[in-house]
Amino acid sequence: MLAITSLTLREASRRKVVAAAVAIAIVLIGLTGWGFWKLNASLSGHARDPALVAGTFSVLVVMLAYMFSVALAIGSAFLAAPALSADVDSGLLLAILPRPLRRADVVLGKWLGLALLVIAFVLAVGGAELGVIRLIAHYVPPHPLTALAFLAAESLVMLTLALFFSSRLAPIAGGIIAIALFGLAWIAGIAVTLATTLGNAALVHAGTIVSLIVPSDGLWRGALAALEPAVFVASGATAEGAREFGPFAVSGPPPAAFLIWSAAWAMAILAAAVLSFAKRDI
Amino acid sequence: MTVAPDYAIETIGLAKRYRTAMALTDLTLTVRRGEIFGFLGPNGAGKTTAVKLLLGLTRPTSGAGEVLSAPLGDRAVRRRIGYLPELFRYQEWLDAREVLGFHARLLGLATTQRRDESERVLSIVGLTARAHDRVGTYSKGMQQRLGLAVALLGSPTLVFLDEPTSALDPLGRHDVRVLIEGLRAAGTTVFLNSHLLTEVERVCDRIAVVDRGKVVAAGSLNELLGSASLVRLQLGGIGPAARDVLARIGARSERAAAANGTPVWYSVPTESADAIPAIVRQIVAAGAAVFAVEPQRATLEERFLEILTEECAVAGNHVADPA
Repeated sequence: MLAITSLTLREASRRKVVAAAVAIAIVLIGLTGWGFWKLNASLSGHARDPALVAGTFSVLVVMLAYMFSVALAIGSAFLAAPALSADVDSGLLLAILPRPLRRADVVLGKWLGLALLVIAFVLAVGGAELGVIRLIAHYVPPHPLTALAFLAAESLVMLTLALFFSSRLAPIAGGIIAIALFGLAWIAGIAVTLATTLGNAALVHAGTIVSLIVPSDGLWRGALAALEPAVFVASGATAEGAREFGPFAVSGPPPAAFLIWSAAWAMAILAAAVLSFAKRDI
Repeated sequence: MTVAPDYAIETIGLAKRYRTAMALTDLTLTVRRGEIFGFLGPNGAGKTTAVKLLLGLTRPTSGAGEVLSAPLGDRAVRRRIGYLPELFRYQEWLDAREVLGFHARLLGLATTQRRDESERVLSIVGLTARAHDRVGTYSKGMQQRLGLAVALLGSPTLVFLDEPTSALDPLGRHDVRVLIEGLRAAGTTVFLNSHLLTEVERVCDRIAVVDRGKVVAAGSLNELLGSASLVRLQLGGIGPAARDVLARIGARSERAAAANGTPVWYSVPTESADAIPAIVRQIVAAGAAVFAVEPQRATLEERFLEILTEECAVAGNHVADPA
């Protein structure tokens, strides 16, 4: 299994996936750093209301995190969608699978390699972004490490889902389906917020069920709760707060049961990917 | 089922259905240990599916088989099998040594062994000089040589070569022939899947012909082609007695005899190669001079086409006679 993991990491490095990700991250951090520097300078010119400044920066950080989360989800899905199927289609696996290794070694080895890449990317880029903001704007969100952990978990959910599809479907089909399910979970999350403000219990239940089927949005909300100041989170629990913050309203960190569910979900989908690939005719 | 120890492969009624298409209907064959086994058939006959079943890449719909005395796809046995796929493709972002190092690791070779083993197979296929170049810069022929090196890694007991010369020039084909003969000398069993009938004819000990998913003929070259059915003789000094003998044995001259006594080629039908010495004795006794004797038999290509035409007729699809 580790031979496949090592090959996956070497492929990412040789095919310039890592270099491209680092280049994009540098541009992203540079541009957002410049924006925070300009904003900080303009706010410094006025009598600073600490609550207003913290509120402004926290909203910007949340929006930045949201953009980062969507890019991570799409990136993870398209990284994993060709991981198995493209190697089957190209014939690369024809030479590898007759070797004395289990099909499970290939699936788990690929998953581990891609997961290490995604986690390293989230921690390095997310950490660097928050570090630059702290340096320039002197703003640190309430729980930065927790937020990064939730973003990494959301990426792993998307990675695992796309790898499952890759065990059977062509890369494009698998990637598109995974992204569509991500979008569905996102809409379900907004529907729950709306339903809460409207007091529609049926819609809340339906949205909750969808967020359990694909837990990506629930994990994003974990990142949101870790990034928003406590006062925002407290008001997000009320109908007025939910109305005011819209898609970014969150009433608190996800319950432990949801985290356990998400971990079990990822393991079950990974096991399904192993089984599905083991039964596939090459 | 139990495979006799002298068989490297034995299958009984192996079949594979892909959704609605039947790729293989009845693969029943045996391959002896240490032999070079040729596997022939037209496009779509099920040759590659058969190889994939034997390697455990695909599971059979029905039937059974054993490879090196273990069930199809057995993980431990795969350590002793080498495979060059027809659709050969290796990581283009690695160099040849890295590809071989990766496969050596999958084979479970110790770190110290990997380098030596890689160098050994690189040298066999003639890629040592380009071993540090990325596979992406290789020609198709070089990639096929790399595929052969991958298949030979770890000195396997059984090697599957699926169209091993499809991308090679005549020199490369000659090298592969020498390589296969070297494997035979080392006691390695080779399962050779090829369209190139002359190559199969030159290197294989036994052959199976597959058509429409089943084996339609199998045996040694002699069994498949039969012995000589015709002998060509180059004769000179033919007098009346020799002319009588030639008429009696049904000899036909290939052109009119020259007045200056230049030797002439005659064709004589025979029942078997065993009859040739008696024919020559009779002609010599009648006073003619024998300059050359060439037993003739059908080529593998002729026999192959004959088998397929017979099968086609049996299936009710008569092949149109181009004449």
